[in-house]
Amino acid sequence: MSLRKIIALWIFIVSAGVAIYGFWNLYNQSEIGYWTMAGSLLLISVVCYASGIHHHIISKRQKGLPMLVYGTFVLSAAALSIYIPNPLDLRPWEIYVRIPNSFFFSLFMLLSGLFGAYLSFRPFYDYKKEGAQVGAYYVFYLTLLFTLFPLFLIIFNIVTRGMGGITWEFLTQDIVSMGEEGGVFPAILGTLAMISLTAIIVLPLGVGTAIYLAEYAKKGLAVRVIRTAVNILQGTPSIVHGLFGYAFFVLILFDGKKCLLAGALTLAILTLPIVTRSAEEALNSIPGELRDASLALGATKWQTIRKMVLPPSLPGILTGTVLGLGRAAGETAPIMFTAVYFSGAGTPSSLLKPVQALPYHLLSLYRLVGYRDVEQQAWATALILLMIVLGINFIAIILREKYRQRF
Amino acid sequence: MFAKIQELLEKESSCERTDLPDRVKMKVQDFDLWYDDIQALKSVDMDVEENKVTAIIGPSGCGKSTLIRSLNRMNDTIPSVRTEGKVWLDGYNIYDDVTDCVDIRRKVGMVFQKPNPFPFSIENNVFYGCEVNGMDVDKDKTVERCLKQAAIWDEVKDRLDENALSLSGGQQQRLCIARALATEPEVILMDEPCSALDPIATAKIEDLIDELKKDYTVVIVTHNMQQAARVSDYTAYMYLGELIEFGKTTQIFENPKKKSTEKYITGRFG
Repeated sequence: MSLRKIIALWIFIVSAGVAIYGFWNLYNQSEIGYWTMAGSLLLISVVCYASGIHHHIISKRQKGLPMLVYGTFVLSAAALSIYIPNPLDLRPWEIYVRIPNSFFFSLFMLLSGLFGAYLSFRPFYDYKKEGAQVGAYYVFYLTLLFTLFPLFLIIFNIVTRGMGGITWEFLTQDIVSMGEEGGVFPAILGTLAMISLTAIIVLPLGVGTAIYLAEYAKKGLAVRVIRTAVNILQGTPSIVHGLFGYAFFVLILFDGKKCLLAGALTLAILTLPIVTRSAEEALNSIPGELRDASLALGATKWQTIRKMVLPPSLPGILTGTVLGLGRAAGETAPIMFTAVYFSGAGTPSSLLKPVQALPYHLLSLYRLVGYRDVEQQAWATALILLMIVLGINFIAIILREKYRQRF
Repeated sequence: MFAKIQELLEKESSCERTDLPDRVKMKVQDFDLWYDDIQALKSVDMDVEENKVTAIIGPSGCGKSTLIRSLNRMNDTIPSVRTEGKVWLDGYNIYDDVTDCVDIRRKVGMVFQKPNPFPFSIENNVFYGCEVNGMDVDKDKTVERCLKQAAIWDEVKDRLDENALSLSGGQQQRLCIARALATEPEVILMDEPCSALDPIATAKIEDLIDELKKDYTVVIVTHNMQQAARVSDYTAYMYLGELIEFGKTTQIFENPKKKSTEKYITGRFG
């Protein structure tokens, strides 16, 4: 092992030690004194200087310069932080914050330790673009794992805890004695009815808007305003949709009675932006040459849209719609004021009758946990809801693949 | 709105007419075109003779594609375009307010620079024009006629139900020509039809153009001067939106009257 690597290892151990100590102090909120901090930072700067001098003077490598700069920086930070008042009190300026300076000391230690440890790697691997390439690959691979990890955790957790509650009775019976017995059959049917109705309402509206925006509207102020409005609609919290649905559909249209149709209308408004945007994107992805070719053969604009533009963009439209419906299936807030009851609604019989639905069922069971023995049922409900949402997405994939083969 | 519908219903076919000289199929008369404020065509005058090949040549950006797209009103699809002047087809002004673009485009077919077959089967590609125009023709016969005329029948006759995108670039372009022939057009416009093709496919298309002029009038835009010399009977040379010189191909290539034409033909610029 060359001297270069020994020094680097030394920097790494010192820096990592300081970083861990800083983190530990932050975590425990322990009050460390100025000299502890200054001593730790001094340690780091000494090893950084050693490395910098070694690289810069002895082996004439330019990589020494960052080490020297960093050592100086750490040293000056340690020296200057004695001027931080203890505690840092911002109350004279009307800001009600009071920070003991041990917090800053721990923070300095953590940050300078981390950066020092990072710097110590440089002489280990002579950072060339191959090294950076390998590093980038692993960084992105790790982010992928971190993204997938919660998904698997959710599915695994809910499946293992929910499986025990799935019985024939649970799947086919109505709720009995506040969820302790019986099942969720009406809630399953209610959720399915709700999202089917939502799909029927939202598809023509969303696709129609998208066709207007993508094909007919002249690119100008009006289109930008409409698009912004759609985006705002998408950003609206679902509880606001729920309140609007209650105030408008339930109170004004349906005479103060919750019903399936009111819930589906509210969910349609909720999913409309998702459907519109994905449909518009799908339409815009069809190349202009195909439209030109169709028009040049004497097709009218509508014929071109119907025969040339819509069929190939159908997979995209379907995917967007189903994603929207998947979201709608799991929403509680928009339907709790407009369409659902915990119990007593029974299987859906009419558009103008209330229903039961899985997300609201789950919420109600959760509220009862502790008073009633319903925890197992709650997990099982969550599992069924998850299965329905995954099932919808699976249907979307099948449909998309089928249409992709046709064109 | 009702007034507008009424107006559409009462629209009479009183299209502006003129008598064109014998054998002239299309006539561009004092035609200007703007993209917003940029004038792309400056009072162009040109005759397209029947059953002949007319080539339009010129350096990039000179307006040759814009001109050929004006001949079947494809420029109408671009919102910023504004035109002035007349284009006559069989004595009818196609830029008259009462003229139906759809009708014009059926009579004046077009083949584009990049082969752009529709993403469905070969026979449906060919038949698409008949379908959208509601033409009462036999599908199999039409498909066979068009593919034979486009000299691609032998290559695809056994796989008419295959996706057109599985064909090679040259085959795709001939399929696009076949597709344009299905609506029984009188004029065929080709906007640099060979620029995306290899020399062998190009030679096939050129032979095909020679065949096609027996039944159709062909207008072709090309940036390849040798191609213009090989296939065309008449040549128009354009520069910066103006039609600099128009005449028989032999005359343009052997004895150009304008200095600019000569420079371009001899390869001194462009």
